[in-house]
Amino acid sequence: MSPRRRQLALSWAAVAVVVVAALAVGTFAADDPTPAERVRSLSSQFACPKCVGQSVQESDAGIAVEIRAEIVRRVQVGQGDGEILGFLESKYPGNLLTPSASGTASLVWALPVAGAVLALAGLAYAFVRWRPRDDVEVDAADRDLVDDALRSRRTGGATSDPGNRGARS
Amino acid sequence: MNAAIGSAGVALGLLASVFGVITLAVGIRSHKPLLLRRAGTYAALILVAGLIAAAAMERALITRDFTVRLVFENGSSLTPPLFNFASLWSALEGSIILWAVILGGYIALVAWKFRRRLDDPLVAWALLTMFVVAAFFFALMVGPADPFVSVNPPVGYDGPGPNKLLQNHPLMAFHPPMLYLGYVGFTVPFAFAIAALVTGRVGEGWLVETRRWTLFAWGFLTLGIALGAWWAYEVLGWGGYWGWDPVENASLLPWLTGTAYLHSVMVQERRGMLRVWNLALLCATFSLTILGTFLTRSGVVESVHAFSESSIGAWLLAFFGAIVVVTVGLIGWRGDRLRSPGSIDSPVSREGAFLANNILFGAFAFVVLLGTVFPLVVEALNDDQISVGSPFFERMTVPLGLALLTMMAIAPVLPWRKASMETLGQRLQWPAWFGAAALVGSVAIGERGLGTVAGYGLAGFAAGAAIRQVALATRRQGWRGLVGRTNGGMIVHLGVILIAVGIIASHANVVSREQRLEPGESFTVAGHELALVSVERTDTARTIRTTAAVRVDGGQIYEPQVNTYRVDGMTIPTPSVRTTWSHDIALTVSLGDWPDGPVQIRAVVQPLMSWLWTGALLMGLGTVLAAFPGRRRRPTDPVSGAIGVAEPEPERDPDAEPERAEVRT
Amino acid sequence: MTEPTVSDDVVESRRPRMALIASSVVGVVMVAFIAMLALSDSGPDDGASPLLGNAAPVVVGATLDGGTFDLDDERGRWVLVNFFATWCAPCRVEHPELIAFHGAHAEAGDVEVVSVAFQNDVEDISTFFAENGGEWPVLAEDVSAFAVSWGVVALPESFLVSPQGIVVHKFIGGVTLADLESILAQARGLPPDPVESDLEPAGAESEEPAGDEVEHLGMGS
Repeated sequence: MSPRRRQLALSWAAVAVVVVAALAVGTFAADDPTPAERVRSLSSQFACPKCVGQSVQESDAGIAVEIRAEIVRRVQVGQGDGEILGFLESKYPGNLLTPSASGTASLVWALPVAGAVLALAGLAYAFVRWRPRDDVEVDAADRDLVDDALRSRRTGGATSDPGNRGARS
Repeated sequence: MNAAIGSAGVALGLLASVFGVITLAVGIRSHKPLLLRRAGTYAALILVAGLIAAAAMERALITRDFTVRLVFENGSSLTPPLFNFASLWSALEGSIILWAVILGGYIALVAWKFRRRLDDPLVAWALLTMFVVAAFFFALMVGPADPFVSVNPPVGYDGPGPNKLLQNHPLMAFHPPMLYLGYVGFTVPFAFAIAALVTGRVGEGWLVETRRWTLFAWGFLTLGIALGAWWAYEVLGWGGYWGWDPVENASLLPWLTGTAYLHSVMVQERRGMLRVWNLALLCATFSLTILGTFLTRSGVVESVHAFSESSIGAWLLAFFGAIVVVTVGLIGWRGDRLRSPGSIDSPVSREGAFLANNILFGAFAFVVLLGTVFPLVVEALNDDQISVGSPFFERMTVPLGLALLTMMAIAPVLPWRKASMETLGQRLQWPAWFGAAALVGSVAIGERGLGTVAGYGLAGFAAGAAIRQVALATRRQGWRGLVGRTNGGMIVHLGVILIAVGIIASHANVVSREQRLEPGESFTVAGHELALVSVERTDTARTIRTTAAVRVDGGQIYEPQVNTYRVDGMTIPTPSVRTTWSHDIALTVSLGDWPDGPVQIRAVVQPLMSWLWTGALLMGLGTVLAAFPGRRRRPTDPVSGAIGVAEPEPERDPDAEPERAEVRT
Repeated sequence: MTEPTVSDDVVESRRPRMALIASSVVGVVMVAFIAMLALSDSGPDDGASPLLGNAAPVVVGATLDGGTFDLDDERGRWVLVNFFATWCAPCRVEHPELIAFHGAHAEAGDVEVVSVAFQNDVEDISTFFAENGGEWPVLAEDVSAFAVSWGVVALPESFLVSPQGIVVHKFIGGVTLADLESILAQARGLPPDPVESDLEPAGAESEEPAGDEVEHLGMGS
């Protein structure tokens, strides 16, 4: 068992090394986004003011075409992402598709995080609480339940009460 | 004439469902099995009523009976037959008819399937619940969404036809019915969940009986969503397939909770745990279908796909509220008594993994719901107008998706109850190498970005685990290693992984460019040279069609079109999409709002788009395979012996048999 | 049916009423959620524009008749900036109203109208004005970008700019003579002279939008 175990450990260690190395290369060797990529990304972050439910990137409405052209112009002269989106938001308020991280809008970011923390805490609590119940005492009622389930199973599962099915597994 | 027949059908449906509710309520209360057995008649009547209404409306559409308002507003003598037929569900009132027909079908099927057990209180309560839902939808058609309102059309009137966006792709004829089969299908398990809560029947009986109903509803919903994405890709012309639009989100929400249920239900069947949780998931799934219907039909959220605004919203919201109050009340009242004494032995176990899966899916659904309704919340709080769009959804769901892929890799190899780290390490060894290979390969071909490369790696990891399971099962059991819930589930997983890879690849590598061109000019996108050869205008009775001929790389000619409808001047593009296994080129021609200007050609090049559609197909196939009974079977089943007999085509018989046996229980 | 119930009672006695607590919480949240949905009024509010009360963005360019137009040179009189296209049906409908409005103020010279084209061919515009009249400056070539800086969503849209260069009203959709006159009278009446002197330095000081526009124009050309 021991050599096999060592082999397994080695294999996993090798996987870990390969994965970490590949992730590092994949993450840090990234080039800066090209202007075209920036335009695409920016235009998908702003809602088309005319056509509901679509971003500027997706829409072919006249004004969406013009807004895309505006983004291209601004990217070409080297404006930053925040600056460009800020300009558009000042002209078409409420169309920025990324909710801001301050004010009421920040709730949309905070709530999921709070929910995740609560869920994890609840899960941890559940596991802690469940653990000691491994050796739950079996009382007469439980035994009766099992007996009954076994009896109905022996009679062929054709009883009309499906409630006992659970005991079978 | 058509209106009269249709209204009669609607009235019949309402009466049948109301009387069905009353009969069953009295029957249950006074313990009269005779009354309970009448449920079958009412179920049949509801189906017939729905069919009459649908047939009357289709007849009105086909004969262009403009005295019916729905036809007046959505019919046109110029609409091609397929789209004319599909006009039924492209209008708000008509979509309620479709809903009612499908619901009638499900009710009749349930009544037929359980025909020998109609006097069982569980079945009676389930049917009662379904009758209430049917009564609501027929009441909608009597009240705010009456499809058979009569109008007086002027002589020689011709209608505008259905929404133009829905007219230029045949997929539109299949996507809504598929979606509705899914939405409405969840009524069945929901009704049984309510019945289980009301009768206080603990145990897993109801759940085993609705297993396949849930599975099929889920499968239809999956295909419906996939068809919707495909339609968006083929029609909307921006190379995308998912825009986190409120209507898309509304269809995703019940899918997420339904998927969570499909997993956690196995914990209950196997270990008798999570009973209340499963009931809650089913109730959530059904109420989310109603909430989605409300969101898309009331005009509270704005969307490309939304129906026109109407007063139906208040009714749907009230119904949603009633469902929430009833289910929450029932669970609060019964929940603590239904809870099982079982416990999870170790977090590192199959049930622990399913629990984690449920939390991830729950979080996913929460994030999607939050993002969808958040603009309304902010508006209610301080009257601000804000938008929540894809940047939010992507930032929130990418980590969840990666976590789900991880669970997909680990969970299938985990044993129930408890797993040692060594077992886990052994079973996951080759999947892990597979994932590492995918990761290294993706980095080697130039993919960058932590989320992207990690996504490829985890997808490879999950695929390795699924393939391992399928390989083991088929080696052990031959072709039977492909059917049954566990094995079919692995096929579904492989479909999901294909979709995940398709999403990651197309998202990370999409290249799009647009340019205004005169014939003879060209531009380059992602190494492909696109030359505009000619622009042609053809006048048809319905539209002015502009067809651009674009030569790609000096070879193939793509012909994207744009139709300008004469009725309202609306322009609808028909992109030209060429799919290969490795990448897609989609060309859209648009005029903008500028009919006389040079045409604008938009080219979108995305890799691995075909993987998305293949994956969806595989998910559908896996669902069907999962619906067949698997290897595990009670020894008392009479058929388990017969399977061993090696016949050339034994598939159908042995599979049909146990299905019935199991359901009858 | 009886056996499970017995066992459940046993279970119940051992555990807190988790389901009840959880469902109460969920119920309260859901009721609040439904109330919010029921009370939410749908649809965006029309007529609001972030430009209102601020300095008008730049409008400058060659006019159809060969001259040049600069909104900044119009200080001292009211200007109606009209975004239009000849392919837009409501724009054609509102055209006679604009002619009437322009005609009514031509003598006094207190109001100027300027039309800014959006995604439109110059020849079409010339033909249109030749056929339908309209004696005010029309900016036709390469001016679609102005629509973005003015926050135009759909055509036609018009903006009333005060003599101090402040945007005071936004008309969404076609205008009528009656509308224009009443809004103009209102704008004249409500903030009389004292406010004008208040607004002028404010407009001059608020460099942000103005600076933005200059920069934007520099890029556009």
